This record gives sequence, C-alpha cells and structure tokens, in this order.
Amino acid sequence: MTEPKHDTTHFGYKTVPAAEKVSLVANVFHSVAAKYDIMNDVMSLGIHRLWKRFTLDCSGVRPGQHVLDLAGGTGDIAALFSRRVGPSGKVVLADINESMLNVGRDKLRDLGLINNIEFVQANAEALPFADNSFDIISIGFGLRNVTDKAAALKSMFRVLKPGGRLLVLEFSKPEQQWLSKVYDMYSFKLLPVMGQLIANDKESYQYLAESIRMHPDQETLKAMMVEAGFAEVSYHNLTGGIVALHRGFKF
Amino acid sequence: MLTALLPQLLCASAERLCQSLISMDSGAIARLKKLQGKQLAFTVREFNLRLVVTAGADRLLFNQHNEVVDCAISTDLASLRQLRDASQLTRLIKADALQIDGDIQVAQQYSYFLQSLNPDWQEALSGYVGDAMAHKIALSIGQLQQYMQQKAGLLEQSFTMLAQDELLLTPGSLELQQFSQDVSEISARVDRLLARLPGVKE
Repeated sequence: MTEPKHDTTHFGYKTVPAAEKVSLVANVFHSVAAKYDIMNDVMSLGIHRLWKRFTLDCSGVRPGQHVLDLAGGTGDIAALFSRRVGPSGKVVLADINESMLNVGRDKLRDLGLINNIEFVQANAEALPFADNSFDIISIGFGLRNVTDKAAALKSMFRVLKPGGRLLVLEFSKPEQQWLSKVYDMYSFKLLPVMGQLIANDKESYQYLAESIRMHPDQETLKAMMVEAGFAEVSYHNLTGGIVALHRGFKF
Repeated sequence: MLTALLPQLLCASAERLCQSLISMDSGAIARLKKLQGKQLAFTVREFNLRLVVTAGADRLLFNQHNEVVDCAISTDLASLRQLRDASQLTRLIKADALQIDGDIQVAQQYSYFLQSLNPDWQEALSGYVGDAMAHKIALSIGQLQQYMQQKAGLLEQSFTMLAQDELLLTPGSLELQQFSQDVSEISARVDRLLARLPGVKE
C-alpha cells in the first residue's frame, strides 16, 4: 500500500481530501474518548494491556530516561513508562486530540502519576520538540490515523536521540489465513455492534475496523521505518499478527 | 502465538499481587525506599524465562527483558527450594546449580524485603465485613491452621506406628540404632582379627 502524498488519502475505506483526514479522525476520537478504555478492554478482552507491557519490555527503559509517548491517548503506555523512569526521568504524553488528552490527564492524575509526566497536544507529522530530545519514542495504535506516515516517522527520527529507540505498536496483518477470517468476521460484524452498545457510536468502530485493513502490513511498515532512517528495524507479531510491534534504532 | 504474551501476563499478575501485599503492610513502603531503582533479574533455567524486578516508589515492577541489571540470579527448579537455606548457597554455586552475577547485596535486600512483608489481612478484610467479623474470621483461620497441624502430626505418628509395629515395613529408631551399633561392633572385631592375622601366620 502506498500513502498518497497530496490531494487525497484514506479514511477507513473512503477516499477523502488529505486536508480533511485530521478533522475526520479528530471527530472519531472526540466521540469515543470517554468510553475509550472500557471499549479497549471489551474489544481485546484485556489483551491490549499485555501488548502494551510487551512494548515496554522491548524499550529497554531505564530510570532517568526521557520518553515520548506519541498518540498516547488515555495514557496507558505513559503510565507504564512513568513508573519506570522514576523521579529523575520524564515522560511526555503527546496526542493530537484534546479530548483524549484530557481523559488521559485525568486518569494519570487519579493514578497519582503527576511528577514526571508532561502533556502536549501535538501533531506527529511536525513534532514540536528539539532534535535529539528523547531516549525512547513509543506510538501505540496511533500511526494508522496519521495522514502522512512517512513525515511522522521522519519527525520521530529527528527528535530521537542517537542510540534511542522507536517502538510502533499497531494493528497489522494476521499470519494465518484462518485467523484472518475469524478476525474479519469479528471486526466487521461484532465490533460495530459492540461500539453501538457500549459507546453508542457504530461509525467510529466501523472506521476502526476499516482503518486497520488500510494500514501497511508488517513488511511495508518495516520498509517505511528504514526509509525514514531507522536502523536494525525488526518486528514481533503478537496474537498471531493481529498486532505487531516494530522496533527501530537511531544511530 | 501466545509465547510473547504469557510472560507478560505472569508479570502483570505478580505486579498486582505484590501491590496488594505492599498496600496491606503499613511499613512496607518505607522499607521499599532503600531498594528504589535497583533491579534484580531472576532466571529459571527450565522455562528459559528471565524476570526482572525493579523497585519503584511504592511498588515492585515486573518485566521481562535482557537489559543490564544490578544483580542477576540464574537457577533451576530443583535448587529453587534450597535457596532459602543460606548455608546451601556455596554448595549450590560450586555445583553450578546457582549462578549469581553482579551485586549480591541487591539480591539479599530483595530477599529481606519479601521476607519482612507482613500484610495485615485483618485490616484489609475489615473494610468488607466489619471489624468484629474480620477478627472472628482471622481467629477461625488461625484455629483451623493449628488444628490441621495437630492432625497432620497425629497422622504422621499413626503411619509411623503402623509401618513399624503392625506391618513391620520399617524398623523402629531403637532397632535401627541397635543394628548400626552391632554392625560397628562386628566391623571393629573384623578389623582386630585382621590385625592379628599376620601374627598367627608366623
């Protein structure tokens, strides 16, 4: 799959003007922000927590490090990092969507995580940070919503310190044919119904299922990361490839 | 398919369990401060699984990675039980059943912290069922434990008697003592005889 550079782009299965995608995605997340966490738990049967923990283990995070959690949403990954970088470290939770950022901020405060977390509303394609600022950047279930993924990866490469790592946790392509079929049935039949019942929003979850299918598969994303300048790029398939964690280094 | 996620589930459960134990012990957080930021890796060879424990400000964090840590312990299941006995450590290290890399004090500090954890179950329980009921339940559990220990002791005694006196499967301790004494005596007599043999020959 190639990412259209100008004029039009994908929004789920629809083709929309590139300039409109940001606001369309924003509408989706404004709509689901309040029920985001509970929907994640229901949709994945809680397994998303394990995917996020796996991301953390692949990060090699140490006390004192600076971490950027991009598209951090409701702060699950930021919370994991915050406890591990300790008081001498720093976690920046960045998201383009204000509603998600507010939910995340409230949640992390309720967890007592305030000292080493900063919140920034930022577009991944043009990160408002100095070059070489972070030891680790993670982006969990966010890259597929970005309009220009190549620009976003380049921007991440720029703000990452030499020796730093980028971790991209994202839905991907199931390895097995049978799993793919079950997964398709689940996402297109069951998921929108669950979205309707729990979050009272069928369209957003229809978009979720479609956007997952339009997202680059494992090898394509790996090539895109290499293209952006990352070295030693590798990926782990999780839960049969439904989700993949890509890791790349900046040297 | 699940191999990457099972250790994560284990880590998450261990983290949750330790968190509730620590929250039930009012002095635990102060003791945890001494450990803050220190990492201990624990490998059980049979499972090829390396768990890393890190002490946070108010909790123990569990992870699975191969990065550098303050102290790394690697052992097998059979030796795991003997680790509690400090006098066995040197023997286990010599037999290559236990490998310790890094600062052993970190391992000792973790061990001390875990052993000194004393969760106040009654207090936690009283939040759900009230003080009186919690006390009664704790008392009953204590009595039950005592009763079970007593019964287990009695059962063991009965089995010993059955095996020794009724079924004659094993000798009693006195018989065994007598037997080994007899054996030593015979062995001493044989030795004496052997010593006299050369003289008799001449």
